[in-house]
Amino acid sequence: MQNRRKFIGQTALATAALLASRTALAGIGGEEGVKKLTILHTNDVHSRLEPFPMDGGRNQGLGGVAARAELIKKIRSEEANVLLLDAGDIFQGTPFFNIYKGEPEMKAMAAMGYDAATMGNHDFDAGLENFATQLKHGNFPLVICNYDFTGTPMEFKYQPYKVFKKGGIKIGITGVGIEMSGLIPDNLFGKTKYLDPIQKANETAAMLKNEDGCDMIICLSHLGYKYKDNKVSDEVFARESENIDLIIGGHTHTFMDEPAVYKNKTGSDVVVNQVGWAGIMLGRLDFEFAGYKRKNLAKSHTVVVGKKTME
Amino acid sequence: MRKISKFFVAGFLITSGIFSCTAAYQAQKVQYNDYRIATGAKQDSSILVLLKPYSDSLSKSMNDIVAVSETDLEKKQPEGSLGNFLADAMLAMAEKSYAVHVDAAFINSGGIRLPSLPSGNITRGKVFELSPFDNLLVIQKINGKTLQGFLDHVASKGGWPCAGVSMQIKDKKAINVKIGGAALNESTVYTVANNDYVANGGDDCIMLRAIPQVSNGYIFRDAIFDYLSELKKQGKKISAKTENRVSNAE
Repeated sequence: MQNRRKFIGQTALATAALLASRTALAGIGGEEGVKKLTILHTNDVHSRLEPFPMDGGRNQGLGGVAARAELIKKIRSEEANVLLLDAGDIFQGTPFFNIYKGEPEMKAMAAMGYDAATMGNHDFDAGLENFATQLKHGNFPLVICNYDFTGTPMEFKYQPYKVFKKGGIKIGITGVGIEMSGLIPDNLFGKTKYLDPIQKANETAAMLKNEDGCDMIICLSHLGYKYKDNKVSDEVFARESENIDLIIGGHTHTFMDEPAVYKNKTGSDVVVNQVGWAGIMLGRLDFEFAGYKRKNLAKSHTVVVGKKTME
Repeated sequence: MRKISKFFVAGFLITSGIFSCTAAYQAQKVQYNDYRIATGAKQDSSILVLLKPYSDSLSKSMNDIVAVSETDLEKKQPEGSLGNFLADAMLAMAEKSYAVHVDAAFINSGGIRLPSLPSGNITRGKVFELSPFDNLLVIQKINGKTLQGFLDHVASKGGWPCAGVSMQIKDKKAINVKIGGAALNESTVYTVANNDYVANGGDDCIMLRAIPQVSNGYIFRDAIFDYLSELKKQGKKISAKTENRVSNAE
């Protein structure tokens, strides 16, 4: 009896020590250990399948899917939990698109193993039927919660969100698109209905958090980073959002020096990042998560942006 | 010791039992890295294989030299040399294609899809990159009052490439507007060239939407090619510069 008690006691102590050391090693709080997730992302690649030519131009030699694919492969070999995402405007910008209408772009994304993408305004350029056709080659879910495609060729080809599980973390991914009217020719968007991106994204995020129990919610956004006027942007969206942890942006072709952090409606941090255009950059965000008992989750939480890691 | 053991046993059971089902994770920290994808980096050979048939076929048609540029051309607001070159091409080819005098030509800034064009040889593919959309070159008859409204809109967007026009931007409005060197007259009807995206109200140009368009199906990119082949025939190079067509008022 005495031995058994001693054994249980020692085991418990060892377990407690182990848990404590896991927490201590990570240097961050939490009762349930630490988890990691690597997000890789692009936006506004605009059919730039090959690097810019060596013609003395500003971007010569930059970009190209073959080099990006190799880098992605290397990162996947080093990290257990990786998600590869794109924030739209996959199409338009090189003769590849004029001639092949997006087929090689989508096939390249399938080969790189994209996990999800949202839709940009130029993805409408060869018509919705063409986008729906080419999307089949992409082999990734097209997520968007504020376009209603009822009665269009995209009707059954997209989803408002998708839930991923990576190394014990549950991640909900949704997407938002820019207002079409005044930007996209009427005949291209047809019957597509634009819905308030902030309202739809918040509704979707609340459901992902409360019903699906997602630990992290990512919104792929083609709204644009920020504007001089009060037009809805990622900056406006981040501040008015709830339950969204990360916004991967696009549309404004913004090269950000570092991810931006905004306080949302409930005082939690929202990280916003965007990596220019043309596949010149591949964005990488390595998140560390602390585990808590669900009932102990803080209503608002902060995210510390660490220094840029070395290439 | 006995009490402590019990405490830990209870804690251990609770932690591993009930609460592990309801554990939740919160992002606490993020490290970032933006990788520059540059020449010389290792390439994925399977992707190169995937691209090859597309790329080989394109290079047959897209690598011809269609023009030579004397200088580096830049896309800039309120005015840039690249935009001036394209607006000049639009005005010249609109006049030729429609056989009318054209007072002014415009290109929406977002319609130019490369930030710059280096001096030297310009390939056919480069022109596709510059103007990838299959927008048509169209003509509208616009009265001075509506044109002023359009130019105010252009001013509020920071200035667009134009030909035949000069203006200054003040408080997001177009001031000192001159068309063909003469001050804009609200009651004069002007012949204006635009791409059909803008004429249809794109980039929030709602004031143009209701105005009838004359269109012969001429794709603006083809107009650029035709303009460049005219230059080539005359033995000329592209030589656009900025010349205060659009400037910010002091």
